[in-house]
Amino acid sequence: MNTPYWNPKNETMPREALDRLKLLKLKRHCEWAIEQSPFHRRKYEKANFHPNQLTSLDDLSRIPVMTRAEWMACQAEKPLFGDLVTATRDQAIRYHLTSGTSGRQPLRVLDGTKDWEWIAEMWCYGFWGFGVRPTDTVFFAFSYGSFIGFWGAHYCCEKIGSLVIPSGNMTTENRVRQIVEMDVTTVCATPTYALRMAQVARELDLDLPSSRVNKLIVSGEPAGSIPAVKRMLEQQWGAKCGDTAGMTEIGTIMIFECSHQPGGTHIIEDNFIEEVVDPETLEPRPYGEEGERIVTSFGRGFIPLIRYRTGDLVMKVPHSTCACGRTGDIYDGGIRGRCDDMKLIRGTNVYPRAVEAIVREYGEIDEFQIVIWRKDDVQDEITVKIEVKPDLDVDVYELLPRMGKDLAAAHEGLRFNVEAVDHQTLPRFELKAKRLVDERGRA
Amino acid sequence: MDKDLLGNPTTGLERDVARLYGELKALSVREDAPPCVARNARKALACLWQAANDLDLSFEQLYDLGV
Repeated sequence: MNTPYWNPKNETMPREALDRLKLLKLKRHCEWAIEQSPFHRRKYEKANFHPNQLTSLDDLSRIPVMTRAEWMACQAEKPLFGDLVTATRDQAIRYHLTSGTSGRQPLRVLDGTKDWEWIAEMWCYGFWGFGVRPTDTVFFAFSYGSFIGFWGAHYCCEKIGSLVIPSGNMTTENRVRQIVEMDVTTVCATPTYALRMAQVARELDLDLPSSRVNKLIVSGEPAGSIPAVKRMLEQQWGAKCGDTAGMTEIGTIMIFECSHQPGGTHIIEDNFIEEVVDPETLEPRPYGEEGERIVTSFGRGFIPLIRYRTGDLVMKVPHSTCACGRTGDIYDGGIRGRCDDMKLIRGTNVYPRAVEAIVREYGEIDEFQIVIWRKDDVQDEITVKIEVKPDLDVDVYELLPRMGKDLAAAHEGLRFNVEAVDHQTLPRFELKAKRLVDERGRA
Repeated sequence: MDKDLLGNPTTGLERDVARLYGELKALSVREDAPPCVARNARKALACLWQAANDLDLSFEQLYDLGV
């Protein structure tokens, strides 16, 4: 069957039927959680919630939300996995954990055989939807560790029937050489690392835009849906760039950009309920308004994730915004950032993503870093350090104030310090970039 | 299976998927199956579980079958 959809039945299902399907799965999943998970049973009893109270999706708010802090607490109380899991360790085939950045305790996850089929399946919705086919050769620029990352995407491509090239612990140089040598058509990486590979290719005199690569599929950072970053990636690779997003807590992706590239990512609605709420009140936010996403995942039975607060900032728009025919709604601009990303500088809200969107409008910039610091122990300052591409004749004295002006204009007149630093002095990243350094409060 | 989870009549293809899914479930619990059958049947069942789930024919957990 020649179709642009991985699952035509559900991807084009009328909204009313889709809602009925989600309600049915929600009830069954809540029943499963209550029967098998002491964590959920305790939580639901405390909230006087029972699945038979669910008569429509409007009843979702009866289910208490679940937080990462609760998950961490239950793991700490009953190591290693807490009493959230619904099956025994013997029934699992894989173990992964979150990166544990910011000094937080990592989340430990177990999955069974069918869970891994499902994890790969969600990636199939996205990869098939962006045009990956059995004739493709797909390269994974990813280190295959205990971080779940692109593991599921790897299995997805095997399922699709593409030729898969895992790059494990290869150097960046070897990766770009192999991409060209092996006539790779599809490359998967974080946006930051895709830019890094393009930079190294230039240094090696490898002409990526002339290579066979025609699809670049990114994940792991909001940058994949920032138009300036996407433009830059598409120019430097000579390929279409598609964004996807997932999280270790669900093990896979829940949104993907289709080949129509509507400026956002479709929600895989037959497998997830995605809510957008006010982060303070948890009241639902309508189409077109930004809020925090709350996810319910139907796939991973080992760890039921029901109304889980993600901390991601998103804005939902109707599916009709895209002409592809899918009936899954869209997150305009993908994941727009994190609720806790916001920095307050002299009374003005600053989001790293908004800064990146402006910096990436400057094609002369290779890398950048945002540093927040305190002057004389009193005044907060923000400095953007930039590295200019070495092979370009750039008037830095003209560029720095111009960028400062653009940044200020987008931030209620807030003064940004913009500094040029020597090439290759700022850190490079293979996975998620950490370009914001907050020096306030440091000894 | 005449209807899917939403009560819609199933197609011939969907009935074939549902039948095969049921057969693999039965094969997975056969006590006379050697490891080469038992484990491969479970692996195949995980794949068919996915197809049945995608077509809204079934939505259940299989951990008690080791899948």
